[in-house]
Amino acid sequence: MGRAIRYLGRQKNTNIPAYLALIVATLAQLAVPQLIQNMINSITQGFTANTILGLPQLAQPLAAGAAGYTVNQLQDIQANAASWLINATILVIVFAIARGLFSFIQSYMAESTSQGVAFDFRNEIFEKIQRLSFSYYDKNQTGQLMIRATDDVERLRLFIAQGLVLTAQAFLLLIATLIILLLTNWQLTLVVLPILPIALVIFMIFGRISQPLFVSVQMRLSALNTVLQENMAGTRVVRAFARESFERRRFEEKSADVLSQQLKVARTFSFLFPVIFLIAQVGQAALLYFGGGQITNGTLTLGDYQSFSLYVIYVFFPLGQLGFIISLLAQASASADRIFEILDAKSDITEKPGAPALPALTGTVEFKDVTFRYFSSGEPVLRDVSFKAEPGTTVALLGGTGSGKTTIINLIPRFYDASEGSILIDGQDVRDVTIDSLRSQIGIVLQETNLFSGSIRDNIAFGRPDATDDEVFAAAKAAEAHEFIVKFPEGYNTPVGERGTTLSGGQKQRIAIARALLLNPRLLILDDSTSSVDLLTEYKIQKALDKLMHGRTSFVIAQRISTVLNADMILVLDKGQIVATGKHTDLMEQSPIYAEIYNSQLVGDVTITSEMQAIIAEENKS
Amino acid sequence: MMGLDGGRRLFEQESSRARNIGGTLARFAGYFRRTWVGVVVALVLIVIQVWTQVVSPDYIGQAVDCYLFPQPASVCWFDSSVSAAMQNGTMDAITTEMKVGGLGRIAVLLLGLYLFGSVLAGLAFYSMSSSGQRVLRQMRNELFTQLQRLSLSFYSENEVGNLMSRITSDTETIAQTFGFALLQVISGLLLMIWLMVKMFTANVPYSLISLAVVPVMFIATVWISGQARRAFRRSRRQMGSVNAELQESIAGAREVQAFNREEETIEEFRRVNQANRAANVQAAAFTAALNPVLEALGYVALGVVVIVGGLSILGDQPVLGITGITLGTVFTFVQYVQRFNQPITQIAVLWTNIQSAIAGGERIFGLLDEAIEIQDKPNARTMPQIVGRVEFANVEAGYKADEPVLRGVGFVAEPGQTVAIVGPTGAGKTTIINLIPRFYDVSGGAVRIDGQDVRDVTMESLRQQIGIVLQDTFLFSDTVLNNIRYGKMDASDAEVIAAAKLVNADAFIERLPEGYNTVLGERGAGLSQGQRQLISIARVVLKDPRILILDEATSSIDTRTERLIQGAFERILPGRTAFVIAHRLSTIRNADVVMMLKDGQIIERGTHRSLIEQRGAYYDLYMSQYRHEEEPESAPQ
Repeated sequence: MGRAIRYLGRQKNTNIPAYLALIVATLAQLAVPQLIQNMINSITQGFTANTILGLPQLAQPLAAGAAGYTVNQLQDIQANAASWLINATILVIVFAIARGLFSFIQSYMAESTSQGVAFDFRNEIFEKIQRLSFSYYDKNQTGQLMIRATDDVERLRLFIAQGLVLTAQAFLLLIATLIILLLTNWQLTLVVLPILPIALVIFMIFGRISQPLFVSVQMRLSALNTVLQENMAGTRVVRAFARESFERRRFEEKSADVLSQQLKVARTFSFLFPVIFLIAQVGQAALLYFGGGQITNGTLTLGDYQSFSLYVIYVFFPLGQLGFIISLLAQASASADRIFEILDAKSDITEKPGAPALPALTGTVEFKDVTFRYFSSGEPVLRDVSFKAEPGTTVALLGGTGSGKTTIINLIPRFYDASEGSILIDGQDVRDVTIDSLRSQIGIVLQETNLFSGSIRDNIAFGRPDATDDEVFAAAKAAEAHEFIVKFPEGYNTPVGERGTTLSGGQKQRIAIARALLLNPRLLILDDSTSSVDLLTEYKIQKALDKLMHGRTSFVIAQRISTVLNADMILVLDKGQIVATGKHTDLMEQSPIYAEIYNSQLVGDVTITSEMQAIIAEENKS
Repeated sequence: MMGLDGGRRLFEQESSRARNIGGTLARFAGYFRRTWVGVVVALVLIVIQVWTQVVSPDYIGQAVDCYLFPQPASVCWFDSSVSAAMQNGTMDAITTEMKVGGLGRIAVLLLGLYLFGSVLAGLAFYSMSSSGQRVLRQMRNELFTQLQRLSLSFYSENEVGNLMSRITSDTETIAQTFGFALLQVISGLLLMIWLMVKMFTANVPYSLISLAVVPVMFIATVWISGQARRAFRRSRRQMGSVNAELQESIAGAREVQAFNREEETIEEFRRVNQANRAANVQAAAFTAALNPVLEALGYVALGVVVIVGGLSILGDQPVLGITGITLGTVFTFVQYVQRFNQPITQIAVLWTNIQSAIAGGERIFGLLDEAIEIQDKPNARTMPQIVGRVEFANVEAGYKADEPVLRGVGFVAEPGQTVAIVGPTGAGKTTIINLIPRFYDVSGGAVRIDGQDVRDVTMESLRQQIGIVLQDTFLFSDTVLNNIRYGKMDASDAEVIAAAKLVNADAFIERLPEGYNTVLGERGAGLSQGQRQLISIARVVLKDPRILILDEATSSIDTRTERLIQGAFERILPGRTAFVIAHRLSTIRNADVVMMLKDGQIIERGTHRSLIEQRGAYYDLYMSQYRHEEEPESAPQ
């Protein structure tokens, strides 16, 4: 938490004015009751003077003496009462306006500060996330990270900038008011004082009780919303199975859950409200009784009483504020912890100081006794993997889930670092060169394609924003994407991503291929499994992939029979080890594991064609 | 036919002002009919609570006039002995004991009033919010029922995500309004009116002068909060961009790194983030202004009360024609005027909330009023046990009135036959299968099952007897067991497992962390598409329908799962009439009838063999794909 507060240091331009304005505004606020007291005293004194001077001449000195004045003083008062009153009132209004102005500056500056802090936090989180290594993404889900950058930052923002200013204000007001109260009338202050700790405790209890109640309402609401969401998204299933009434019962149950929790909230609050109101008013009532006693004794003036009662409000107000802030504190510091957890995460991948750029690649890739663990103590995912791929060859990676295929392709562009052994590209250890120069020469097509907000053109030029239109078109054509892109009304300028046109899985994949093609990399890494597409598209994707691989050193996680058949080298992986290496024909004879994988995991190319061929052959015979 | 453009427009507009306020309010009132007692109780309690707030300044005034500063001209109704002394001019008769005792009584009375008032406020809040929450539950339930009845075209026109966020935010604002906003606005208004009445009965000219600042406060509040709202709308939009940018770059972080785009992405985020900050700071200017402005105006009002009252007490002649003011009157008015600040602020802030609640209500009522296109006829019969003869008689159907997707489609599928439907995207294959369980209605012709028009029987009895396996399988976030049981709610665990075994799903389910009791993620996350489809086939097996509708997966599923699915189909097809949108040649070859669709019409039909021999469109479709294949391979079996 302390560390989070240090972020305020960067917002000096707004934060210091906020606190200065806070001091001025609070002092003005403290002055106001005094000024109101002057105003009222000028009325009561004037009134007293009027009354006494209205008596018969002889009675005047006696009455004046009883009121503590001389007749001359009273005459003076009577003459000036009106102008005193006017002056006092003008002073009140001037101070009130000044206070308004400064308290505006205070809250505006505090808000600006808080926005500045949030801005810094978000930027830092974002930057950190962009630079963290893949192993971090493996452990953290997008949704989780999103929440940290949005909700947690928001909570921390509220606390750091607003909560702290309010705390400062509350303490300033509380302490200054107590001093004033003690100085003006310590007997009365002692009457009010015992109520303060009780009030603080009650306000804190209030915060402690209400927070979890709201959380629980939120939880039940989200359970209700899940049912609603599922029923809308899965409405076909519900209808196909004629399960409407079942789902309705389910929903009504959740809806009753929400109701009962809301009623609980209402019950709790209907009990807590009076308690809080009462606490705030007990002070006033006590003041009226004891202060009234003092007035009748003549030890307190009416104006003093009035200002005293205003000051008492000033004592309770900050107490309420503090109670509220304390309940926020726990949440905010939990949020701060979560945020700093990201900011402190160490990226496993760092460049060596003074690492040279990797020169233009020829395309030899060599793994030397590579062992890899995700966690330093965990089971190795890869064990002593060694192989060498010559320039321009295609390497197919084959194996079951968890066999280490993906790890191998992630090690080449240094998304992870090998735990033991080394990876050499053109004889250079990947850890000895700059990450930029390494990755810019490797083209990658992942199975799940993410597109970014922007036009289709921007997305194809993702790795080379300076590419010319002709280069982009050429890449799209080679990736069999040009045809569908130009069919969009806006062609290459069609917006895609979060807020743009939704592309089908096959279209996305072809854009990803074009994106990789545009880099014209010597080294290519891809996952040849295609997502949900129709047969013609699948065929086109295959063609695009074939073109992409031509003449480059390629590593392919193979799903397709043709890929395996065309590969120059097949690496068969099992439990992190290479169990067989070779070409298809050799492996079919030598490796039973290969034969098993071949038969069970690979997908026929455009499924119908092989069967088609058999049929045509059959027909030709007949 | 299924034009629901109105429905979509309803949710696209972001305006939060209702168009038909009267009608919407009347409908809300209708909902409160069942919980009217709660509302009435709340209102009565609030009136009494406001009364306690209104009378308390009187007692403070009496404390001044009777005990603190008694004078012959004062009116003291609280204490008859003090009052008598005043009238008799024997002020000395008012002893210190009388004063202290009287003050004590007033203090206790005030405390009692405050306590009473706050208890009433609490009870009113409870009463109102419990009625409101009950109404909300009823509205939610009705809405849910309605959403179930709306046709599928409604869902294709309205994106579920949008509907979801609309409905949740609308019900949220309504909940807030029923919870506290409405009550606070009512009590605030009531308090202000009551105070005004009291002030005017006490002294009309003095009241007019005292209240002169109130309209200014009102106008200032309305203007400032209007500006703030507008600024916040801008900032919400900016926040949306920030979130979109975050979402995208976090989800795509691997690609950003793979393409060396970190710097550009960070730069872009900073830009969006900066815009968001600027919008927020701008909005802050207005929210920061509201309280100080009101507070300052409050002091101005106070100053006016004191100066006018003070001068008219001090002076010999009335100030501004105000007469009959005592010191007590001034004190009472000071109290009154201070009580105006809070309700004005509250009303200004909550009024918006109430407005959006009305607008939200209007949208929800709009949804409830959405015409239900497909519903049972009043005299609909129960569909008897289906034999399985499906007939399309000159069927015409489409999603928009002027664009028929199917034109003059006619065919008969005999009981037990498997019909494979093939054709390019957009030919109308999905429309045909949607018409059989009456997900949509035809715009011309008829769909008959065993000679019964599907529109003449109840949907429930019809759909109970039809099994559907869709390509994009929807699973609920529940256990595997319950997901399969969806086909037959009263099935025992043993039956469920038997169904899973029948479709070869048992093996992979057993390998899940908790087997059949594994809770699936959202939409069945964690399972492959093929596995999800196997579960949905098991679901259908459990249902044991007479008619089967299958949409074959187009994507490449690994051959092992593929074979499992094929095997499952082969086991469940016999004896049932089946319609298959086919992508696998083996399915087509095994079908009794192949129908080739193009542009909404059946252009060829026959068996696979006869269609190949015909050398027509069907032949071309597959030959074209065959010719594309550069390296024909032998079948990898």
